[in-house]
Amino acid sequence: MSSKPVFLYVTYIASTPDKVFKALTSTEATGKFWFGNAVTSDWKVGSPITFHREGKLILQGEVLEYDLPRRLSHTFRPMHDAQFSAEQPSRVVYELEQQRDQVKLTVTHDGFAEGSKVFASISNGWPLVLSSLKSYLEANRVLWAPWYEKEKAAS
Amino acid sequence: MSKPKFVYVTYIASTPEKVWEALTSPEFTRQCWFGTHHETDWKVGSQWRLVFDDGRIADAGEILEADAPFRLVLRWRNEFRPEAKAEGYSRCTIAIESLDGAVKLTIVHELDDDRAESKFIAAVSGGWPRILSNVKSLLETGKLVLRTKTGGAS
Repeated sequence: MSSKPVFLYVTYIASTPDKVFKALTSTEATGKFWFGNAVTSDWKVGSPITFHREGKLILQGEVLEYDLPRRLSHTFRPMHDAQFSAEQPSRVVYELEQQRDQVKLTVTHDGFAEGSKVFASISNGWPLVLSSLKSYLEANRVLWAPWYEKEKAAS
Repeated sequence: MSKPKFVYVTYIASTPEKVWEALTSPEFTRQCWFGTHHETDWKVGSQWRLVFDDGRIADAGEILEADAPFRLVLRWRNEFRPEAKAEGYSRCTIAIESLDGAVKLTIVHELDDDRAESKFIAAVSGGWPRILSNVKSLLETGKLVLRTKTGGAS
């Protein structure tokens, strides 16, 4: 039985859905917790979304859903590596659920072709990005990860 | 069919020693693991039990590997949910890696036998993100993100 890969990650953050959603969609916040990868979009459904690091286009996609503060999704096409950008765009869905004074954040990344190299890379990348997001919102710090690029390259 | 498996990675601004302590000491696990604590001497071959504060046994098994503060492997069977207990033993591997500026904590929890689907692995897939979110919050901020499974403490 073969199946197309899906990446699923759940983290709990002592914050509000509004703050988590805004961090995920803010150029300034993503530039901090996402290791310099800053997002830009007007967040209208159908609009482009881009991530730049030090002026270089890293990732692009299209906004699929924007339902503040519950749900956000966009297509996902890495542009910094030709073997990644040659693949079909995949899809990221963020779901935010208020649970008392915390947020359950579920990230589902699917829409990959079988044997996707992007899938292997994002499976290493998401735990680091989402760990850094949690630190940013709870402790007002980001994880310093000089080995980030090395880890991604190793995948 | 394959062995049902759960994998989770989190990065914590801490040291391997503190992460090991948060995962093994009763003071920490009572907070992070929703009122449970381990009963074991952490020696290879020794019995291991995860016990609720009212004395009920949540899970039980054996220490397969223990290399503090870097690696712990447990033979693990659920004891309080009949449908999960019926699935038999699993293997839980906890790897703690020191990186420059953070600790990479990897949990791999895999059922011993092939099975199309597993209630036990489904349960630990819900539990581990809660526990590890708590461990990360407690080590980085001194506060928990989740107090109990049901939030009953507040």
